[in-house]
Parts: sequence; structure tokens; C-alpha cells
Amino acid sequence: MSFMGRWSEERVISAAPDASSLAAARKLAHPGPWSDTGSNDVLVWGKCQGSGKTPYQVSVDIAAPAYRCSCPSRKFPCKHALALLLLWARGEMADGGSETADFAEEWAAQRADRAAARERRQSEPQADPAAQAKRLADRLTLMDAGIADFARWLTDLVRTGLAAAHNQPYSWWDGVAGRLVDAQLPGLAEQVRAMGSDVHARADWADHLLSRTGRWWAMTKAWTRRDELTPTEFADLRVAVGWAVASAEVQSTEALPGPWLVLGAHRSDDGRLQQQRTWLRGPDGTVVVVLDFAAQGEALATPQLAGALLDVTLARYPGSPPQRAMFTSPIAPRGLAASLGEGCSIAQALEMESAAVALSPWRERHPVLFAGVRVCPGGPGWLRDGSGDAVPLVGAPVDSLLAITGSHPVHVFGELEDGSVRPLSVVVDGAVMTP
Amino acid sequence: MTWLADLRSSALVGTGRHAVPAPPAELELRPPDGLSREELLLDQAALADVVTRAARRPGIVDPARLPDAAPPDDAPPASAEAVRLLDLLLNQPPVGPELRTQLVTDWLQFAAASGRRVPHRLLPGLLDLADTRPAVAEHVDPAIGTRGRWLQGLRQKGAGPKGPAPKGSGPHPATTIDWAELGTADATAELERLRHTDPAAARDRLHAHWDTLSARERAAHLGAFAINIEPADEDLLENALDDKAKSVRDVAADLLDRLPGSARANRMAARLKPLLRTKGLLRKQFEIDLPPDPDAIALRDGIAPAPRTGEPDRLGRLDTIIRGAPLDVWTTVADRSTAATVAMLDGEPRVLDTIIATAALRADDEWVRALLDIRTDSRLLGCLPAAEREHALLRHIRSGTAQPMALVPLLRDLPRPWGAPLATAVLELVTAKNGGQLATMLSGFLPMALPPDTADQCRRLLQRSDDGAPGRRVFRDVVQYQSFRQSLTEAFQ
Repeated sequence: MSFMGRWSEERVISAAPDASSLAAARKLAHPGPWSDTGSNDVLVWGKCQGSGKTPYQVSVDIAAPAYRCSCPSRKFPCKHALALLLLWARGEMADGGSETADFAEEWAAQRADRAAARERRQSEPQADPAAQAKRLADRLTLMDAGIADFARWLTDLVRTGLAAAHNQPYSWWDGVAGRLVDAQLPGLAEQVRAMGSDVHARADWADHLLSRTGRWWAMTKAWTRRDELTPTEFADLRVAVGWAVASAEVQSTEALPGPWLVLGAHRSDDGRLQQQRTWLRGPDGTVVVVLDFAAQGEALATPQLAGALLDVTLARYPGSPPQRAMFTSPIAPRGLAASLGEGCSIAQALEMESAAVALSPWRERHPVLFAGVRVCPGGPGWLRDGSGDAVPLVGAPVDSLLAITGSHPVHVFGELEDGSVRPLSVVVDGAVMTP
Repeated sequence: MTWLADLRSSALVGTGRHAVPAPPAELELRPPDGLSREELLLDQAALADVVTRAARRPGIVDPARLPDAAPPDDAPPASAEAVRLLDLLLNQPPVGPELRTQLVTDWLQFAAASGRRVPHRLLPGLLDLADTRPAVAEHVDPAIGTRGRWLQGLRQKGAGPKGPAPKGSGPHPATTIDWAELGTADATAELERLRHTDPAAARDRLHAHWDTLSARERAAHLGAFAINIEPADEDLLENALDDKAKSVRDVAADLLDRLPGSARANRMAARLKPLLRTKGLLRKQFEIDLPPDPDAIALRDGIAPAPRTGEPDRLGRLDTIIRGAPLDVWTTVADRSTAATVAMLDGEPRVLDTIIATAALRADDEWVRALLDIRTDSRLLGCLPAAEREHALLRHIRSGTAQPMALVPLLRDLPRPWGAPLATAVLELVTAKNGGQLATMLSGFLPMALPPDTADQCRRLLQRSDDGAPGRRVFRDVVQYQSFRQSLTEAFQ
């Protein structure tokens, strides 16, 4: 992502961490308090006179994007960075010429150094295969012990009964999750932690806990017999237990050309971690998902617009389709698609889910494009296709879906999850919209 | 299905106390020998998980819940710029809540005037705002278009019978059920509502139920008659003066104070007249005696009896008599015009204050105007017709006698936008040394009340004022409001 061009005001708004930061930024977004402003292809910088004597030094790397300000705010980006971007986006910023301000230059250099150091760290281990093999063996020993411990816990769980577990406080679940984290099984830990709140939040907690218990048990079995798994099956299991594949290992494996159609995207925030899933379809029909993560308070990668065609190359992570993928080249938007394609009926989608479960029992989310479904209001709301079949909605702004579609039959792209669908994009009147 | 149910109970209770079922024969699975009960259950739970997920069937929507698809919209959507501004107001409001409500309302009115509509995707946010802001709710139609009305219908249906009733459409639910069955507060509210639309019907209803009501109910319900009080209410009120309960008698007497043509007012006039004499060489002063101890009829009319100990409050009794008597008693005794009579009272602040309260209560135009010439009083200003009120307010602000805080409710009720002279006068008050508190009190409506051509003045004031200066926030709001409104005007051209 080298040259990004000038941001739109909407883009700046979407970078704001919250409404109050943006409101504060709007107040600063006039040339008055600013001096020494300027921009080049990657950086925007300026000094903002605040209440103190020394003006705050603000630098923004518009490519990453990354923000730096000398103010003490913990908001990220802070109001100064947002205000500077607003000015720049509106073209109201006095441009001090091509000379990059010292503080911006310095910051950019520091960042480049850090990035280089990170790369060195990542490539160094390869220089020492013996140490690497030892690290891997250590990790596997740790994980094996963690899995064995977890299997014992599951045995205890069913001996004393799920009803007894239902009465346990959240800390009990959290303790189990903590042990899994220590055993480098963060994916499993996350599932157990989620269960700690699900058993109290969900009306169908008993069925939910029973099926999860079964799935966890199957995972421990699969782990202990991992030598019998195909590489693809093992890759899926790795994802489920939370053993991430380093992006450096994926980066250079392939470069699938575009254009890639953005089917839809979803952002979630569990309080600790923000996640962004972007579903894409390639020219040959391959569907992949790009995952972005950011810690609380950090900025996630800019979301891609549903319906956009992206000129970009992708590399896929190992695993069964639809695979996780990463961008391996700068993203160049190439216009908007008028439709997302053919789509299927609800019965077909469920058959597809069933086939996917058979292929990869750990996968919980399946991308699906429904054709000609109507949105029906209700508690969770429903999608209903021409043959009268229906599937419940989950995490959906039903009002918004109704407003956009008028309950006329439309194509809906979403994630099939636990028998419900989370709608991510809707095709209305030749345009892909996000509800 | 029984297998799953068995499995479920076994898992819930625990294998320690419950046998584990065998997998169903149809699945043709035979668990390996030598498994513990726990392993047997866990294996089957894993199987059940996969089987359930791989065997999902489509659901069925109750046809009654299936809405009719929305009819097509006939109005075109608003321009892209107008849509951007509405999106901003709904989702990232750059202004405070009051300004936002006003600007959304402005947007809706601009849209209605130009025959444009809200784009579909912004409808839910707008309708959500309308749920909490009646000012917005009032103006959503017609700007929300066919799709918006369709969505509103669905939302109301979704809210169900327990949800809030749609405002202003159809009969109020309370009219259909027996009024006598309502709780006191609800019954009073219902009676107040009826007084607004049909005072006579409210009177008939209360009259019909009068004897069955408790004292507390009688007093509360009778209080509703302050709304649209009319001479025809007199019989009911006069009867209520004989009520067993003092609380009811007090309410009735207070209400009869507002009917200068009533029999009670006549009796009060007869009591007041002997107390008043003119004096002085030019007979330009009143001499006012204190009333004698009340007789039985006077007591019935609400004049305070002698207390058990101590001196009776004779001044209080005089107040009661003044409040109950017609104001023309004063002009008759003085034998002068209202204005001249009022001038004679300048030296009697307590009496004047009672007369001001009485004139304001009865909204007696002639007296209100005459009294305003010598006193600034928000009760009096509130009685003037809107057009006249702006002038009167301006005059009183200029004279400097008015307590600015007391003017806030009157300023709020003035038709907007204000004229330039009033706007200037108010801005001067706000920028004055102690204007900060006034500025805060005015901040809710000043931006909308100032005429557009004061925006420049406010911009200058904003640039001149320091961070902590009083009124800074108000100037900023005014500038923001006016400039946003300007953008709206342009977006709808």
C-alpha cells in the first residue's frame, strides 16, 4: 500500500475512535491553530497550538495508517491527528512545500527502523534450524500436556454433570481458559471463556454446552492423533486451537491475482480484541477471508467497501476452503460491482453447510450468498426464500435490512453460523449495500 | 430424537448418577470396548454435535408475520449532499442534542417543501430519533416517503399491543374504556385531555361521577378545570364550595377567582367596595381598609377564619377578596381609566402584586397592558398575544428593570425567528458581565431563535471571546446552527 492519494472526509471520520474525538477534532479543523503543515505521498504533518506553550507535533502515516502526536491523549488517533486529516482531506491545509518537517521525518525513520528490526527478528530463527526445531518440540510438548489436561477436565465435566457447571461462577471458566492460554492453546481458551458467559446468557445453554463439549472432546482426540490427519485437516485444527501461522510463512507462497470482489465485511470487538473479517471472491470463484486484528484502542485496517472490486494479489493460509488469506500487494480499487453473483436457495445453503461440517468439523462460519430472499421482521428476524424456506438472522440490524429492501426479494451475502445467518451485504437496485 | 434427549439428560445430571444411552442403531456405530462412561458420553456428544450441524433443516416463518412488500416510492430521494448532511446529523452529529433535533426537523421540512424523501438506509436511525424526540416525530411525514411509512407500520406492529400507541392517530385508548375504572392520576390526565378538546364533555363526566369520588379524587379532577375554564363551569364550582373536604373547597375557590362574572366574584366585589376610598387633594391615592371578620358566607367563599390563637391574617383576607373580585371594582371606585387607576396603586406594592396575579390569571388584556406600563412581570408578559409580547419584552429588556432570568420562559415561547432588535438586545444581555448564566439558560433555543443575519455578529463575538467567556458556547452554537442551516438550504436547492 504505497500511494494512497488524498483521503475523503468519510475516510477520516471512519478512522475516529469515537464520536467525541471527532467532535473535538472538528473544532480544531480550521487553519487557525495550525502551523508548519505539509504532506507528501505517505506523510501528513503539522503543529497544533493547544493550551500549552509548545504546539503539539502531529504526524500521520496515511499508508499504514499510523498516527503520532506529542499530546498526552490516550485516544488513538487523537483529536489533533483527526483535525489535521480533516483539514488535509478538505484541501484547506496550508502546504509547506516538499520539505518534510523534522519531527515527521524523525518519526517515519523510527518506524522504518522498528519495522526492519521486526523483519530481522522474524527471519533470524531460520538461520538456526536446530534452535527452531527445539522451540517447536518444546511448544508441542506444552500443547500436548495442555490438551491432555483439557481432556481430563472434559471427563470431569460430564461426570459431575453440565447442570453443576452451569452454577459455576465466571471465574471457574476463566481459570480453565487461563490454563489453556498457558499451554499455548489460545483458540480453545477463547471458546471456553465465551462459554462462561454463554451458559448464563443463552436460553439454550444446555444444548449449546453439550454440543461444544462434544466438539472440544473431538478436538482433543484429533490432536492426539494429528499424525493421521492430512496437512489441510491439521491446518484447520491448528486454527481451532489457536496456533497461528506466521504471515511471513504465507506471504511468499503464492500471489493469486484479482480482481477480488468484496462480498462483505464484519467487525467485532470483544472488549480485548477487535477483529475484522473481509470475505472476497476471486475471478475463478475462490472465496477467501482476510482477517485483521487490532488491540483495544488501536486502529484496525481500513475496511473494504462491500461490492468493491480490488486489484490486489492474495496468498492463502493453509486449511480447507474457504481459506484465510492475506493481501500481498497494494490494494487498488477498480470500481464497484452491480451484483454479487448467482446465489443459492436456503435449502442449498444448509446442504453446503452440512458438506462443510463434514469436511472441517471445527469451522463455525460459512460464507453464503442467498438469492431472492425476503427479510421478515421478528425477534431475531428471518430471511425467507421463494420456496418458503426460512433461516433466522443473527446479529442483524433488522430495521435497517427492512428499510433497505422493503421486504422485496434480494440477494443477501452473509455468514452462516450455528444455524443462523449474519447478513453482511445486500444487493438492491444494482448496488451492493451494507445494512 | 430420543437418543439426543437421553444424551442430554445424562450429560446434565452427570455420568456419576445417570446411565449413558447407546448410540442409535440407525447410525450403525459401535463404540469400542473398554470405554469409561465419561468417554462413552463424550464420544456421543461429539457425534451429536456433528450430526446436528450437518442435518439442519430450513425453518418456517409464520405467514402472519410475513409483511407485504413495501409499495414503490413516488418521491425522488434527496440530493447526495442533503443525504450526506442527514447522515452526519443522525450518525456523527457535529452539534449538541437540541441543535441536532432542530436541524433534523429543518432537514425534514426542507425535504417536504421540495418533494424529496429520506433515503431508505437512513430511515431506521431517523425513526429511532423520532421515538425519543417528539419534535422530530411531528415532521417525519411526508419526508420519510412510502418506504418510511411502511417501516413505521412494521415497527408499530412489531411493538405489539404492549408497545407505545402511535401518537396522534386514532382514538386515545382511554376513551374506549370506562373512565371511572382508571386510577386517580390517569383519570385526571384523561380529564385534562378532554378539557382541551371538549370542556363541556369533561364537565358532564365529572358531574356524573361526582358523588362516587373520594375527596382526593374530587380535588384532583376539579383541578383539571383550570384548562379552558368558562362561565358554564360556575355551577359545578359553586356547588363545590359546599364540599365536605377543605381541599376541594380550596380548588373551587381558586378556580372561581378566574371567573370575574360569577356570583362569588359579585359577593367579593360587595366586600371589596366598602374597603376602598380615594384620598388626597386630587384623589390620586387609594385608602384601603382591612376587611372585617368573615361571616358564614364569606367563610364559604374561602376567606380565612380567625385562627385559634393569635391575630387573624387580615392582609391575607384582603388578598383573597382582591383575587376574587372583578377588577372593575377599582376603576369604579377611582372613577378613572384603567391606566390611571393602576397609576394610583403604585404606592401599594402588596395590593399591586395581588392585582397583577389576578389580571394574569384572568388574562385580562386591558389590565395586563396597563399594569405592564408600571411593572415588568413575566406573568403579565405571558398573557400578551405573541406579536405584542416580542415588543413588550424588548421594551422591558431595554428598560433594564426586568430580571433577565425571569424572561427565559417567555423568550422560549416567542415565535421564531425573533426580530433583529430583540436579537440584539438579548445578545447584549448575554455578553454583559454576568451573562454567563443567562447564556446557559438560553442555550437550548437561542440558536434557532436568532434571525440568520445575526450569524455574522455571533461569529465576531465568538472570535472575540476567550475560552471561558460567558456565552461562548452559545455563540458557537448559533454560528454552527446558522452555517449548517445554510448548507441545508443549498443542498435542497
